[in-house]
Amino acid sequence: MIAQLLLTALLALVLVYAWSAHRTVPIIGLLASGAALAGLYFVWVPEHATALAAFVGIGRGSDLIVYTWVVISLLIVLNLHLKLRLQLDMITRLARAVAIDRAKESRREPGAPRKRRPVPLSRKAEAPPIELQAK
Amino acid sequence: MTGNGPLMTERLNLGRIRNPWVVVAAYNEAPVVGSVVSGICRAGYAVVVVDDGSSDRTGDIALLAGAVVVRHPINLGQGAALQTGIDYALEQRADALVTFDADGQHSPAAIAALLAAIEQPGIDFALGSRFLTGATANLPMSRRILLSAAVWFTRASTGLPVTDTHNGLRAMTARGARAISLRQNRMAHASEILLQIAQSGLRFVEVPVNIEYSTYSLGKGQRISDALTILIDLFARRLYR
Repeated sequence: MIAQLLLTALLALVLVYAWSAHRTVPIIGLLASGAALAGLYFVWVPEHATALAAFVGIGRGSDLIVYTWVVISLLIVLNLHLKLRLQLDMITRLARAVAIDRAKESRREPGAPRKRRPVPLSRKAEAPPIELQAK
Repeated sequence: MTGNGPLMTERLNLGRIRNPWVVVAAYNEAPVVGSVVSGICRAGYAVVVVDDGSSDRTGDIALLAGAVVVRHPINLGQGAALQTGIDYALEQRADALVTFDADGQHSPAAIAALLAAIEQPGIDFALGSRFLTGATANLPMSRRILLSAAVWFTRASTGLPVTDTHNGLRAMTARGARAISLRQNRMAHASEILLQIAQSGLRFVEVPVNIEYSTYSLGKGQRISDALTILIDLFARRLYR
């Protein structure tokens, strides 16, 4: 019973994670949700896990749950990889904006005074914010 | 003409194209980028070199040779550098853009042919092809097999009947350039451009171009191991929004 409660808590956390991942990477959210729900079912109905394990040739139901857990872990790793790619997207846009601004500044006439209006702190930014956000 | 002010010596008289820009992405290309930029300037085109975080003097040499230089503060990859160059050129009100490799394997003479192709009404992209004429020099067999596989993959994934992919020589109208938004920072951008052309519904033509492979350019080019990386990048991109 203790192990079942512990696994239930962990799989519930996976479900929450899958829900948050679903917004950015739907396929990961879907797969992780499916794996977590299947895990919850087998934790509480282990005889079905044993039957399914025997059917697919694994042997023991507990082994099947361990394998399911490994799959969930791999999906989480894949999701982290994709998040890193999203962050790289944002870094790219930032670096691009910096590079283009610097190039435009360096092309200005040398000696020409740089006119910069002070921007009041309360004023909203005119440029649209970058929509892409790491989640 | 642009604020860059290159000499109009070889450039053809183009009809509706008034302000073409050549975009060159360069990463540690100091040995060759000067001659590449000089050649483009002599042909009469404005050129923006995107120095992709080079650790050598690529940017300085390109500047001295007559290019506008946009410097990435860090190395991001060729796809990111091309998109930066495209964005910059569009800000300069370019009405046509040509992407051009920095490693010296492209001829400035091809620029006029590409621009002439997008002069045709309704054509927004002109893609250079090494295989339309068979005139490409020094193409090793391994590279030919790799490129053939890339062509097969591109035809299957985009439906575009192209004869060459991963050819850095392309021209596009400003409308075409605005339809392109590269998010593949590395080499997979070449496939991404073709995919976005297919999705945009804009028309393209292929133009035969000659690529002069040298020991230097082959050393910088793609290998079979890169093909796997490109496939992984393309697959991963489809997984997230």
